[in-house]
Amino acid sequence: CITTAPAFATDTIKAVVIDGYPSRALWVKEFTNFFIPAVDARLAKTGNYKMDWQESYGGSIVKPKGVLEGVKLGLGDIGIVTTIFHSSKLPSQAIAAVTPFVSSDARAVSKAVDEIAKEFPAMQNEFKKQNQVYLATGVVLDTYQIFSKKEITSVKDLEGSKVAGAGMNLRYLEGIKDAAGVRGGLTNFYNMVQTGLVDHAMLWPEAAATFKMAEVAPFMLDVSLGAVNSKTVTVNADYWKKLPDEVKTALQTVAVDYRDHLAGLAMDRAAESIKAYEAAGGKVTKLSDEERKAWVDSIPDIATEWAENLNKRGEDGTKMLNAYLGKLKDAGHVGVRDWTAK
Amino acid sequence: MSPIEIGAISVVAIVLLIYIGVYIPIALAAVSFVSIWLMRDNFDLSVNLLKVAIGDSAMEYAFATIPLFTFMGLIVSKARLGSDIYEVMSTGFRRVKGGIGMATVGANAVFAAVTGSSIASASVFAKVSVPQMLKNGYNPRFAVGVVAGSSVLGMIIPPSAMLIIYSFVAEQSVGDMFLAGVVPGIMLAIAYIGAIWGMGKLFPKFVGGRPASDYERMPWKEIASKTLPTLSLITIVLGGIYTGWMTPVEAGAAGSLAGLVIAVLRRSMTLKGFWEVLIETGHITATILFLITAASIYSRMLGLAGLPNQLGEYMTNSDFALFQIMVFYVLLMLFLGTLLDTASIILIVVPLFLPLIEPMGLSLVWFGIVTVVGAEIGLLTPPLGISCFVIKASLNDDRITLKDVFLGALPFAAVMLVVLIILIAYPQLSLVLLN
Amino acid sequence: MFQSTFHGISKIANSISKLANVIGTLVVLGLVIIINYDVFARGLFNSPFRGAVEVVQFSMVLIVFLQLPDVVRVGRLTRSDGMLLLLEHKVPKVARVIHFFINLLSAAVMSLIVLAMFPEFIEMWESKDYFGIPGVFTAPWWPIKLIILGSAALCTVLFILKILIPKAGGSK
Ligand code: NA
Ligand code: NA
Repeated sequence: CITTAPAFATDTIKAVVIDGYPSRALWVKEFTNFFIPAVDARLAKTGNYKMDWQESYGGSIVKPKGVLEGVKLGLGDIGIVTTIFHSSKLPSQAIAAVTPFVSSDARAVSKAVDEIAKEFPAMQNEFKKQNQVYLATGVVLDTYQIFSKKEITSVKDLEGSKVAGAGMNLRYLEGIKDAAGVRGGLTNFYNMVQTGLVDHAMLWPEAAATFKMAEVAPFMLDVSLGAVNSKTVTVNADYWKKLPDEVKTALQTVAVDYRDHLAGLAMDRAAESIKAYEAAGGKVTKLSDEERKAWVDSIPDIATEWAENLNKRGEDGTKMLNAYLGKLKDAGHVGVRDWTAK
Repeated sequence: MSPIEIGAISVVAIVLLIYIGVYIPIALAAVSFVSIWLMRDNFDLSVNLLKVAIGDSAMEYAFATIPLFTFMGLIVSKARLGSDIYEVMSTGFRRVKGGIGMATVGANAVFAAVTGSSIASASVFAKVSVPQMLKNGYNPRFAVGVVAGSSVLGMIIPPSAMLIIYSFVAEQSVGDMFLAGVVPGIMLAIAYIGAIWGMGKLFPKFVGGRPASDYERMPWKEIASKTLPTLSLITIVLGGIYTGWMTPVEAGAAGSLAGLVIAVLRRSMTLKGFWEVLIETGHITATILFLITAASIYSRMLGLAGLPNQLGEYMTNSDFALFQIMVFYVLLMLFLGTLLDTASIILIVVPLFLPLIEPMGLSLVWFGIVTVVGAEIGLLTPPLGISCFVIKASLNDDRITLKDVFLGALPFAAVMLVVLIILIAYPQLSLVLLN
Repeated sequence: MFQSTFHGISKIANSISKLANVIGTLVVLGLVIIINYDVFARGLFNSPFRGAVEVVQFSMVLIVFLQLPDVVRVGRLTRSDGMLLLLEHKVPKVARVIHFFINLLSAAVMSLIVLAMFPEFIEMWESKDYFGIPGVFTAPWWPIKLIILGSAALCTVLFILKILIPKAGGSK
């Protein structure tokens, strides 16, 4: 993929960037508007190399679930992997999902996860097995909240009801009496609530605003289940090997900036979205501290489950978990429940 | 070679291979494989693309709609729902010139709401409505033409396998595409009825037939018993989807079950017949999904070549009007329609044109309706016109040649083209139910 | 002598295709039952079947790839054979050459799929990777890869047999 021009000129390096999500998705748009110009600017300083970007998003090469395999097989050189699809291949990526009720600050969570990825070998090993190199963690949602048709104020109100969710967050409901988690996707939460198929839906404020949830679920219970990492920028390992050091450094440095930039944007968006939700007739009720405590204590110990699973695989799951929570604590985010492994 | 050149050459290669008779999915896969191999000088990359595309494509949840709606369509045909609706309709239109033709169109429009394919419609109505028309002195060409023309309603009025396929390629919601198909489908049915009326006035010989004299009203009770099963199925399927109670996949399953119950209650289903329906469903599903898989290899090849990016850039730098693009698009579909089936046309042209349409801020739902209607004109045009083939095969009558079927269908293909132009000019017609 | 060997292989391949077709057909029925079960369980008893999505995805692979060999066997893969039929009538020699080329190309594409899927199957078999959500519902990947692999291998054999025994298996 790398073409070398005559020695006196700038070397041009082709890079195919892939994601299965369309270019209007927040993290994809920021890859185009932030990541790529930032790399170009750094490389322009010395003028030794110039990138020739080919951005292929929205299913033109891979679908959202196919990015991991696409980068692995060289269909893309750089990819934005949505890690929640790959619990089997990337188990350590669930680190934030198994520690709910700790932090709803996308910036803190993305920074902590990213540091864990760099300080412990587990995450990089998982990507290495998929023939790719880890670059950065992206957090695009601040926290899951509960959006309901009727006003609810306590966890008791969730008992015996149907709650729409997706992925790991369905497990947060396991301790609530007779509550049934119903699997849904972003595009059908609206319909599910509207028709009474479910009583509540778990999603984050930005998504709630985008999908006009206020129309069918005008009551938001501010539970603040927590921010979750779901995106990882990776590079195909064969491609990485051939990159000059200057380009590698540029990509790694910009990846960290992109991480913080994205998390900051996610927070801004979340705040705007709550306002938009309220302006559209939505009402926000805060769940009391005691209620949050009761809920989090009812959840099975998914964090220890996660850590032990990694330990079994020969990684330091317990230490990772403790270090991750320590980093959040240092940043001022102390969980309602102590998820450190027993 | 530039991406646009690769795209152009690959289309030509695919069309040539298909023309000499190569299986369409094989042609798509082979050309894509070789294109990447040549373009990147990397055999492994070609193999890898196969690997990703083959594994991915069949595993799409929404694709379960294809076997389910196919199964439902076949079951309700066996349960004689189509001929019942036809009988009710024909009592209503009996005394008009071309009345049985109009009844056929009307019955097709209703039957379309419980079947996902035009093949089911064509074979059912070739058997029930053509003999009636011949008995009443209609011109055989007109008789088969009406059935051919109205069979396309099956794939425009939801549920429709073609709308599902488009929604997959263009990443649109199946529910939205189904909603968008309602008005254009009804419009086309009305246009057909209008055209039959016009033909009766202007070319009475082409229509033929005599208005019935032995007119007798069908009793209400019989009307009810002949229409209620279909109406209840429509309620379950389309009602289930639009109220959000069910996903299209679940509606397909519920409709299949309900259809089966109706067939059993009416004693029109033997165990052998049931097994035949299952096998036919499996064959159709495998055929369509293998085609989709191969087409996804092809569209990913175009993506890897960077064609979408190049076309997008090209569009922003040139001043092609939407008008010119759409004229070219329709002509291309009409050309491909002479030798490809509808699904293949959609799967080949949509990845090429999506990058042109998307940046213009146009509705991809509207574009999907235009595509499906445009591609379905090919069902009626020679040399390959699936609906016409099915009718010829179902009739099994040596007096009516394939040429007769194609000639009879021609006026209806022309009506489709007019409706297509109207749909292009007024996107609101497709989008009105969505907003 | 060779011909009888080919006919023997052809018989076996055809029987396997038919058997796979029967299993695939039963999966269609299973799909209808499972989805209806989920709809009713969710609507009436507040207890949805949480693996419905994965089971549907899995069934789709089974339906498509278990039936594909039978589709190949009876010659129902999508094609536009107007020209070919004309040639068969007018210049049968040319038509034979084209048939040979088409079957060869088809066998080549199918064998490339085998080549692509084989390492994939081995990898999934060894890693025991799954899809779905742990603690909610998961299913292993390897059976999917195995079905695709076996299906493509059988299709390759069927196309080669169509070359060796030009009138075999209902090919046109
Ligand atoms: Na239909
Ligand atoms: Na045609």
